[in-house]
Amino acid sequence: MKRTSQLRWALAALATAALAVAGYRKLLSAAAGGELAWTRGGVHYELLHPGVLAVLFVAPLLVWMLGRSLADLPFGQRLLALGFRLGFLALLALALARLVRTEDARNVALVALVDVSDSVPDEALADAKAELQKLYAARGHDDTLRLVTFATRPRLVEIEHDRKLALPPSLRHGPRGSPASATTNIASALELAYALFPPDRLKHVVLLSDGVETEGDLLAESARARSLGVRLSVVPYRHPPPAEVAVVGLRLPDKVDVGQSFDVAADVYASRATRARARLYQGETLNGLDGVRETSLHPGMNELKFKSVVRVGGELTYELKLEPLGPDEFSANNDYTATLDVPGRPSVLYVEGQPNRANYLASALGAQEFDVDVRAPGAFPASLRELERYDFVIVSDTPREAFPAAGQELVERYVRDLGGGFLFAGGDAGFGLGGWSHTTFERLLPVRMDAERRKEMPDVAMALVIDRSGSMTGLPMEMAKSACIATLGALQPDDMLEVVAFDSAPTRYVKLQPARYRSRIQSDVERIQPGGGTEIFSALDMAYQDLSVVRARRKHVILLTDGQAPEQGIRELVQSMVSASITVTTVGLGDGVKQDLLRSMADAGGGRFHFVPDPNSLPKIFTRETEMVSQQAGVEEWFPVEEVAPADFLKGIAIGSAPLLHGYVATELKPAPAQLVLQSDRGDPILARWRAGLGWALAWTSDVKNHWAVEWLRWSGYPKFWGQLVREHMRVKRRHELEMKTTVTGSHVRATVDAFTLDERFDDGLESNLFVSAAGKPQERTEHPFRQVAPGRYEADFDLTGYGAFLLRAEHAHRDAAGELKPFATSSGHVSNPYPREYASFDPDVAKLTRAAKSGGGVVDPTPAALFDPGSEKISTQKDLWDRFVLAAIVAFLLDLLVRRVRLWDRKPVRAKARS
Amino acid sequence: MTLAGLPLAWLVGIGAGAAAVTVLLYILKLRRRPVAVAFAPLWHRVLGDRDASRLFSKLRRWLSLALQLLLVLLLCLALGDPRPSHELGSGRHLVLLIDASASMQATDEKPTRLDAAKNVARKLVRGLGGSDRALVVAMGAVPVPLSTMSDEATELLAAVDRVHAADTRADLGRALELASDALHGLPNGEVVVLSDGVLTPPEPPPDLGGAALRFAPVGKSGKNLAITAFSVRRYPLDKSRLEVMTELANLDSERAEVELSLFGDGAIIDSERLVIEPGARLSRFFPDVGGARHALEARLRYADGRADALPADDRAYALVPERRRAKVLVVTPGNTYLEAALLLDEYLDVTDLKPSQYPPRGAFDATIFDGVAPPPADASGGLVYLNPPAEGGPVKLGKTITGFGFDTWDKKSPLLRFIAPGDVQVATGHALDPSPGDKIVGASDDGPILVAGNRSGRPFVVLGFDPRQSDLVLRPAWPLFVLNAIDSFSESDTSYVSAYRTGEVWRVPVPPGAREAELTAPDGSTHAVPVEDGRAVTFGDHAGFYRLTSGSDATRVVTEFAANLSDLDESRILPHKTLTVASRQAAAPAVGSGGVRREVWLWLLAAVLLLSVVEWITYHRRVTV
Repeated sequence: MKRTSQLRWALAALATAALAVAGYRKLLSAAAGGELAWTRGGVHYELLHPGVLAVLFVAPLLVWMLGRSLADLPFGQRLLALGFRLGFLALLALALARLVRTEDARNVALVALVDVSDSVPDEALADAKAELQKLYAARGHDDTLRLVTFATRPRLVEIEHDRKLALPPSLRHGPRGSPASATTNIASALELAYALFPPDRLKHVVLLSDGVETEGDLLAESARARSLGVRLSVVPYRHPPPAEVAVVGLRLPDKVDVGQSFDVAADVYASRATRARARLYQGETLNGLDGVRETSLHPGMNELKFKSVVRVGGELTYELKLEPLGPDEFSANNDYTATLDVPGRPSVLYVEGQPNRANYLASALGAQEFDVDVRAPGAFPASLRELERYDFVIVSDTPREAFPAAGQELVERYVRDLGGGFLFAGGDAGFGLGGWSHTTFERLLPVRMDAERRKEMPDVAMALVIDRSGSMTGLPMEMAKSACIATLGALQPDDMLEVVAFDSAPTRYVKLQPARYRSRIQSDVERIQPGGGTEIFSALDMAYQDLSVVRARRKHVILLTDGQAPEQGIRELVQSMVSASITVTTVGLGDGVKQDLLRSMADAGGGRFHFVPDPNSLPKIFTRETEMVSQQAGVEEWFPVEEVAPADFLKGIAIGSAPLLHGYVATELKPAPAQLVLQSDRGDPILARWRAGLGWALAWTSDVKNHWAVEWLRWSGYPKFWGQLVREHMRVKRRHELEMKTTVTGSHVRATVDAFTLDERFDDGLESNLFVSAAGKPQERTEHPFRQVAPGRYEADFDLTGYGAFLLRAEHAHRDAAGELKPFATSSGHVSNPYPREYASFDPDVAKLTRAAKSGGGVVDPTPAALFDPGSEKISTQKDLWDRFVLAAIVAFLLDLLVRRVRLWDRKPVRAKARS
Repeated sequence: MTLAGLPLAWLVGIGAGAAAVTVLLYILKLRRRPVAVAFAPLWHRVLGDRDASRLFSKLRRWLSLALQLLLVLLLCLALGDPRPSHELGSGRHLVLLIDASASMQATDEKPTRLDAAKNVARKLVRGLGGSDRALVVAMGAVPVPLSTMSDEATELLAAVDRVHAADTRADLGRALELASDALHGLPNGEVVVLSDGVLTPPEPPPDLGGAALRFAPVGKSGKNLAITAFSVRRYPLDKSRLEVMTELANLDSERAEVELSLFGDGAIIDSERLVIEPGARLSRFFPDVGGARHALEARLRYADGRADALPADDRAYALVPERRRAKVLVVTPGNTYLEAALLLDEYLDVTDLKPSQYPPRGAFDATIFDGVAPPPADASGGLVYLNPPAEGGPVKLGKTITGFGFDTWDKKSPLLRFIAPGDVQVATGHALDPSPGDKIVGASDDGPILVAGNRSGRPFVVLGFDPRQSDLVLRPAWPLFVLNAIDSFSESDTSYVSAYRTGEVWRVPVPPGAREAELTAPDGSTHAVPVEDGRAVTFGDHAGFYRLTSGSDATRVVTEFAANLSDLDESRILPHKTLTVASRQAAAPAVGSGGVRREVWLWLLAAVLLLSVVEWITYHRRVTV
């Protein structure tokens, strides 16, 4: 009997197990088919983790244990207890299996985005705070309100403390003008807002802003917000902007010709009526025609027009500086720079040590279609920016001390970094004669200046003509004597020296004699005593007579005077001396001298004029003069020029038929890649060249004017020779110009070039690069490759690295059959990004905000209640039902307990027959 | 510990009630069944046994009650949904940046890299510590948070599921900025980048404000072929012919023989086999393609049929610029020269109208106002004003000038294409006074006489004199000028964009006057897009063909355009195993211990289950009673 009972219970347990397994398999297959989700009465239910129902596999164990139960319960009550216990377990299993119900929620999570950028005045922020208070008061019990303030970046701000609104005293991210608030990125604030919406709330955003964005794209982001289920409403700030004046644009004509006047128009914004002073700079100097303007500004946009003219082609930067004469909150927006590319003839800077002789080469180059800017050495450009406007630079016959100290480095950077062309021409003050040995120029040029030709060089014959008038008494006289003795020290023993001192009449204190008789000469010099008047002519004539009869390679006269003297005949005398190859240097001591006379004597005499206020510097000047003269590098003789190496620029020029030159400075060619193009009959370099960095450096050891090249001036090939030389070696050979368009988005720039062939088909396969440099910093340029994106279309992208005006220059090249790049065209453009755009506009952009609200599904100026009104919107959220199952399980548990603790039936005594 | 479920008072009530019922049931002794027994000596044994087991019996009873009360307690605790709150402030705050760029569609990980990254993200979410919180962000061209900064695994896992790859590159810098913003003011911040490392290092690197940067790399190989450019343009002169450009890249380390096929409106029109060296790019041009086809598609594959790792960049799309008949409205009292000029282009559909009849019905691509300037109707298209009156035109009139010509002009302006107006003589006209932003195309020494510009998205051209007052109408330049002006409004020639690039904000031209537009994406979904300055503004992140519908019912215009990935950097899918930002190499993410964390009630219920089974067994075996 007992065995039968056990068997029955075992079968029941097995049947339960089989049922459980079958049920579970069905469950799993239903789960795989996605059928564990169902809708009942319009409510969607889903079992998230059906696998957990496997815990019900304990059911057979419970049945089996019931079969073996020792509890004294009626059979029916036992079954009832089993039922309650299985129900209890099933309810727990369902709780663990996460039965969820999908229901519609209509609670709102509102994120307020508050613009705190610099363009927003404090009054508008006070309005925003008031709006936030209204929103906080209007929110429903289950609604939430979060606050994000934004400028350059967004910030989540805690607004609740102890269940009360607690706004921070200041909403700003930093002091006005700081980088944290100098830009506005509304899109990034919206992106942060997406992370603040709980999944069971409707997503509403209210944007409080002036709509002026400098980064990101509100319109694109508003459409995305809508697609993400976010409703965007806007509350435009309507407070009048603060007192502000800003230059928002500087418009230059698309095309300007050299010499043609044009208007530079500045767009100036004023938030209220005020006055301002505007200064327009062209390059580094005030705009010549129209530089300063004091004007009244009316609220809104004002246009200021300035007349301007460009004298030399090339890149030119205009800068407008505005000085408000009334209140102005931000000063960053008072400057604006823009650049202009003025196409012009190639320009040549010609620095001539003897400017009155510059017209020969200047005219020749002018006839060859060059703009020539002739300058004296002292007027050499002071900055690379100014130098960059020239395509070729010539420094001719200029002594080193007359050239600005920084000029050499500027020229070197101009050649090496900017690809400029540079010609150094000789003359009496060229190369070693001008003291250029061991200088930057010598390093830059293809020749060495310390030519070792000392043995071949003839002697120097020097006459010192010293004023010994009464005014020289004392220190001047003593220093003049010291100068004579110092001169003696600088001469070689074989050099000849004569000292003539003069008052009303000349006296030959030291006869023309070799410098080796030093002691005698010194004692003769010491004998010089100050005397009476000043009569230069006779003294100079005496020196001329003496020097003209002596044979010497260099003949030089140094005239020292401190007073006024009759001029009659002096100039003619100097002319005669020059024709006898005697050069004259003049030294004026003190303010009483006739500087004009002395300067003209030195100019005509091929020497130098020194004005000396302090007698103490006389020995130094005499020594320097002597050193320059005795450099012995100058070769003065007639010689033909020989062509050594073929050069493109010599095509069409018969160098063989060129006239003789009358002198040059002896130099020595540096090793390759220095290239000797022309040489003298002695084999000395006349024209040498090499590539220095990106540009060319050339050395012309003769001169370019009516001294050594006097015969060349009459030669018909003279203009052509110099024209072609400059054209081949100048900075950028202007090529075909392709138009370049630029679009600026924030700090990102995209440059686009369309290239067509002559027959209006697409020019494909160009290899192009874009060079970007900030105006005034050409050496700090960045390079960006162009990509071909369509037939004939090329694009380059880059980010601006700062504020200011930027010059864009593109080089386009074709690759030929041999694989070599052949430059073919250039493009140029410019971009202005003078200051953060935050400071360019202060009037609210209500139109943009309105569009954004429309695109974002919201409204403009909503009431607080409307922002928390779900309207017809609802959001589906999943409600977890596990707690209900646990509650039900507690009830089942208690019922189970009741059934097991209380005998519900079978309470009467067991009858004997039953026992039997 | 805090309670996230029922309030404590409720729990106490429920627990006390259930416990009271339990104790009551244990106080009530189970009534024994009366059994009549005849043999008295047995009673002695029974009573003797009972005395011997009394203490043990009591113990079993108490044990049973304790078990039941424990079960009640556990159930009530579970109802309270207890959370470990004491660590809430000290936990980690993670931002999971899941790369959703095009390269994450690569199939070197099965099924894709994105799925592999999502699996890592799920592990990270499940491994979050009790007080950790996380934010899930899809990192595409724009970062999009898909969850809140939450400790709810359900919400976070659902957010991970919602990450989908787009046809764009990922903007790591922008995503890091967003992460930095989201972590602002939160302790123990960590930014976890789940990516294949095909990312452009942000420049300048964003300030993460002390948050740790971690990197979980995915991806195995980088074999890929790509179409990195695909475009089509009509020739400027012969607009019936097209040129198609494709640029292919072999981003494998081996030489590849590939097959490039060109389809027009779904039918193959060209196919060729090419060999591309490893790492090389190859441009192919298809010149003089007939212009009848509308939609072009290029497909690239290995010639031997192998598949590469990233199919997304093996197809590219382009739309041929449409050459429909331009509708031109001429508002004139009568101008033979104008009518004659317009007869020369067969692609013009010209409607003449007297000024008194303006405005007309219908939409036009261009409207020419000859000597008049009424307020333009919405669907007027671009506007050409010939000798406008002082009022109504877009440009103010300056002084009257006589005996002038074009002294300067913009040679590059499309209005003057093939025209040299230098010898045109004009008897009388007006100098124009353009507004800021207008372009002076031609000017005499007395002022501008030909100006182009744009007013509220509507382009215009103004000629400051009556052409009949000049010899312009007698020259070939006249019809060229009129047709150039009309052409300049249609953007059908040189400025035409045959395909936009994904990952950028697109500004698609819509007919002048349109204020709203609806965009239909390649997957068929539609959404409204705003219109600003005559262009529909939308952010594009999927390649394919799009349709843009603009205008109201009467003036509805459908514009089609294509979009491509066209991003060589994104096609270079060789995965990177490290990520370096601002010279800092990101460490591997730390996976938490997992298990014991937020949802304590789960474990409480599991304990109840186990205990109840034990209790059932002990009860029925009389271990407890």
